[in-house]
Amino acid sequence: MTKVVHAVDTVLKWFLASLMAAIVLVVSWQVISRFVLNAPSSITEELSRTLLIWIGMVGAAFAYRTGVHLGLDIVTQKFPKAVQRKLAMVLTASVVLFAIAVMVVGGGNLVALTYELNQMSAALDIKMAYIYIAVPLSGLLIAFYGVCQLYYLAANKPMQPVEGMH
Amino acid sequence: MEMAILVLLLVFFGLLLLNVPISFCIGLATLATMLLSVDVMPAVTTMAQRMAGGINSFALLAIPFFVLSGLIMGRGGIAKRLIECAMALVGMLPGGLALVNVVSCMFFGAISGSAVAATSAIGSFMLPEMKKQGYDINYSAAVTAAAATTGMLIPPSNILIVYAIASGGVSIAALFIAGYLPGILLGVALMLVCAGYARLKGYPVGARLPLKLVVQKVGAAIPSLFMIFLVIGGIVSGVFTATEAGAIAVVYSLVLAVGIYREVKTSELPAILMKSAETTAIVLALIATSSAMSWILSYEQIPQTISAAMLALSDNPLLILLMINLILLLVGAFMDMTPAVLIFTPIFLPVAVELGMSPLHFGIMMVLNLSIGLVSPPVGSVLFVSCAIAKTKLEAIIRPLMPLYLAMFVVLMLVTYVPAISEWLPAQFGF
Repeated sequence: MTKVVHAVDTVLKWFLASLMAAIVLVVSWQVISRFVLNAPSSITEELSRTLLIWIGMVGAAFAYRTGVHLGLDIVTQKFPKAVQRKLAMVLTASVVLFAIAVMVVGGGNLVALTYELNQMSAALDIKMAYIYIAVPLSGLLIAFYGVCQLYYLAANKPMQPVEGMH
Repeated sequence: MEMAILVLLLVFFGLLLLNVPISFCIGLATLATMLLSVDVMPAVTTMAQRMAGGINSFALLAIPFFVLSGLIMGRGGIAKRLIECAMALVGMLPGGLALVNVVSCMFFGAISGSAVAATSAIGSFMLPEMKKQGYDINYSAAVTAAAATTGMLIPPSNILIVYAIASGGVSIAALFIAGYLPGILLGVALMLVCAGYARLKGYPVGARLPLKLVVQKVGAAIPSLFMIFLVIGGIVSGVFTATEAGAIAVVYSLVLAVGIYREVKTSELPAILMKSAETTAIVLALIATSSAMSWILSYEQIPQTISAAMLALSDNPLLILLMINLILLLVGAFMDMTPAVLIFTPIFLPVAVELGMSPLHFGIMMVLNLSIGLVSPPVGSVLFVSCAIAKTKLEAIIRPLMPLYLAMFVVLMLVTYVPAISEWLPAQFGF
């Protein structure tokens, strides 16, 4: 279990770092192509927006893993530890429910619909469905981490933090 | 429709109080509300579509860039040079190091868009230094926290970009220029309090440096401060968009920190990239779920209902604006800025516009208001960071914060009721 989580963490970390590096390069290229080469690139704007959707979606799953999403713990921290743990299990289940219902099922349906309708992106000329895959993928990752969290909560063991973050 | 409002509020606040991450609170509350009137499959598909669509924006790209450049610039050397520059400029005035602290935070705010980053970058240098010179550590921590909020208004500012998105089309360039005067006004107000406090406590005043040394210290900070001209100058003159300016800020900060100052090793870059993706994703997740929520808000006409209810209470603009400010101060005490802006802009902006306020002015007022929340208990991210660096308790820094709160509130009232503070400067640039 720990090994699987660690492997997913590592892949996500490097995937996100590469997307960030790519997005800096793409927009820098946009500036260079306009000012230096005097031949504005036609695809950089759309490409960078696509990368942003992927950073947002995959990053949201990663941020869920590292526990940095903004929340309010002033009420729950006053509860007894045992209650906190039971509550955390219910609430983790609700996050998994959201990830599966909206992001995997809804997002999957969105991918299927845009694929069938053959909706194309304007400049990159690829199927919008490929861009939207980020949504169900993120849902799956959040559900995966949520289920792992549930496993550790049930076993009353802490989940290992992600290496190299914090 | 009343049912929809009730479900939305109950689910949202219920989950929020139980410590569910806010982006999921928004998502689950939206889902529950939507299921009242829409079938399951169309509801989840619409939500997924709105979530992806909400972050499919070129303007939003500026956020990861300013996060990244802020992380790079936040490393040791640059903050130290800014502090030494501030020391040479204001260190000899009454209030000494407290003034240096405020000015350094303003400088740092002008090259980075995050108050937390400013607190840790400036605080970790200034707090030990102030302690050495006999300043009360709780007071120093309070000054650092309050001063760091000036960066929310002084551009580049990520929260102003979030507001530009939430308001549906206020120009980022206009917001950036509009932030200068209120941000500087806030800084000056805080400095006045610090000067008065220093007189009262007899805190030491720094020696006046010889002109040669002043020039040298200011000169050393110029490469860092040059980023302001590059980024803001580029945006204001229309040479590039805020997003392109963000990418240039990243490249410039890399050249400076890795190439010239050698504060950041290339081997550290992957970790910085990961951290920036993580931080960006927190904001993007909030924007994604908020844009699903704004769909159901307008579908159920909730903003119109609230707006009508508020205007029914009173038709005195002064009173309604005061009411909005008080509600936002309360919201800010419990909720971080980004979700607060995303949730309350669609609700309060129509009311403010109805009263004749410009969306530009409203945005500056809202960001300034919620900045006070960043340093208000029980939930103030900047306050926590400052306490952690000062190794002190939250309760201990509330007392020294009181006069600073008062100064912030006075500036908030000025900005609320004097539109020119926000609108004059952008007007000079044709916005």
